Amino acid sequence: MAVEEILERLTRGVRDMDEELAAEAAQDALANQMPALTAINDGLVRGMNEAGRLYETQEYFVPELLLCSDAMYAGLGILSPHIQRAEEESRAKVVIGVMQGDTHDIGKNLVKLMLEVDGFEVFDLGRDVTPADFVAKVKETGAELLGMSTLMSTTMDAMGVAIRMLQQEGLREQTTVMIGGGPISQAFADLIGADGYAENATGAVREARRLLASRGAAVR
Amino acid sequence: MINARDRLIRSLQGGLVDRPPVISPGGMMNMAIVQVMEQTGALWPEAHCNPRTMSRLALGVQRLTGMENLGVPFCMTVEAEAMGAAVTMGGLDNEPRVTGYPLTAVADWPRLQEIRTGSGRAAVVAEAVSLLAEAAAGGSELPVIANLTGPLSLATSLIEPMILFRAMGKQSQAVHDLLAFITDNLINFGRALLQAGAHVLSIADPSASGEILGPRRFAEFALPCLNRMLDELGTAYQARLVHICGQLSPIFTEIGALHTGAISIDSVTSIARLRENVPDKAVVGNVSTHLLLNGDPDRIAAAALHCLRQGVAVLAPACGISPRTPLVNLQAMARAIEVFADSEQVPLAVLEPDA
Repeated sequence: MAVEEILERLTRGVRDMDEELAAEAAQDALANQMPALTAINDGLVRGMNEAGRLYETQEYFVPELLLCSDAMYAGLGILSPHIQRAEEESRAKVVIGVMQGDTHDIGKNLVKLMLEVDGFEVFDLGRDVTPADFVAKVKETGAELLGMSTLMSTTMDAMGVAIRMLQQEGLREQTTVMIGGGPISQAFADLIGADGYAENATGAVREARRLLASRGAAVR
Repeated sequence: MINARDRLIRSLQGGLVDRPPVISPGGMMNMAIVQVMEQTGALWPEAHCNPRTMSRLALGVQRLTGMENLGVPFCMTVEAEAMGAAVTMGGLDNEPRVTGYPLTAVADWPRLQEIRTGSGRAAVVAEAVSLLAEAAAGGSELPVIANLTGPLSLATSLIEPMILFRAMGKQSQAVHDLLAFITDNLINFGRALLQAGAHVLSIADPSASGEILGPRRFAEFALPCLNRMLDELGTAYQARLVHICGQLSPIFTEIGALHTGAISIDSVTSIARLRENVPDKAVVGNVSTHLLLNGDPDRIAAAALHCLRQGVAVLAPACGISPRTPLVNLQAMARAIEVFADSEQVPLAVLEPDA
């Protein structure tokens, strides 16, 4: 079977939310001695990126994006055991979570998903996370990036608290801080001294890449 | 002179009034701020569980802020708790929230409990409504707003939203069954609050946001449930409104198909664009709650006037209000109504007595 055809089916399986197709194409990739990482990056991840573009143009919404990710993980489950150790590259670390007082985590989970697709190592603190817990996790993991999310205007000010705590701990310089969520804006990010803001999950990944590159951080 | 209740009801129906009313519906959009709690002695979390404290706080919100309605409860967890979710009552300055879902799979929905309107916090809300209706009947003629959680938002309090959204693609029938069961329960609860004396129904369905679901799934899952609630409760309540969060532009067509005269929006949706695309709905909104928390009275008055000039039929906050919001800011929002009425020379409607 032609390499291009397998990659195309991997991409299509993810983009079209077709778990079975993605899994079948992953098996075919292995049967044809395709390197697992090629199948992942040039097949599955490409499909997820196409899904991300459809999400940005509002052809896809959250349910579709989740179904695409299920198809991607169906393929990944088959391919990842076959990744050669040498193929793996070091990944940038991100700590992510939803602010204390807020249990809305749909947006955060999408950002997490797209960051993982893009090769970040994500430490997910879940929801209802205190500023102190964010800072402690950054310290523990040595994460390059901290991502905080909230849907509620009532909890957004805790983001500024977390940034001040990073400063007090002497971690602010080495940590890129990004924020997002329904009530958040670029103006608010500027106000509390966050490094970046994005409107949606795909934008968040682009912004994360841009910010880390501008800091000269080694990414991937 | 028209009373506050008739003014709100007519405004929500799209009718002519002397000036728009200013309200804070209650539920997710309540103004039970810490300053009001301290001045009334009716404190969270007790006010979520005791009908007398709940009604005293609602009366205090109205009296101290100048909002022209009474509204309960002060959270979106009453129905979820009654149906089996684990809920923490929060504290003085943080609201109750769901800490544990009763479902791990959509198909398990028959395990959910029914909302028993005579017990638990459902009964607390019903009793608070009747206390408020009694208080309002004594001269103030304020409208009492019963706040229900919308079907989709309630579903996301009963099962992890990611599981629910996935199931929309993979087990759509189970999702429809779950939502039908939820909707039946909400209708029962809505009837109980009506019997208790509520005048206006407000359904807040923030998770049914068009940004999250998109038009196709909003039309398939959210719209029919909301419309069934509105149809079955609609004629009984004198007026109704639906609040949906997020950017509504992807679902303007579907918003137009909601069986409600009034739609409440948050601050990311443009009043002008909504009015242009959904011309037959009265718009309720949308003073930024972040501004209410962090702005000063002058800026808030300006923002409220902007909403009024853009054509809101009812002035209201855009979203949930932080309990730490300063009272003077809420008062500034309420006062903007007078400034508007004076400056805009609103034609005084001829009010028929039976209207």
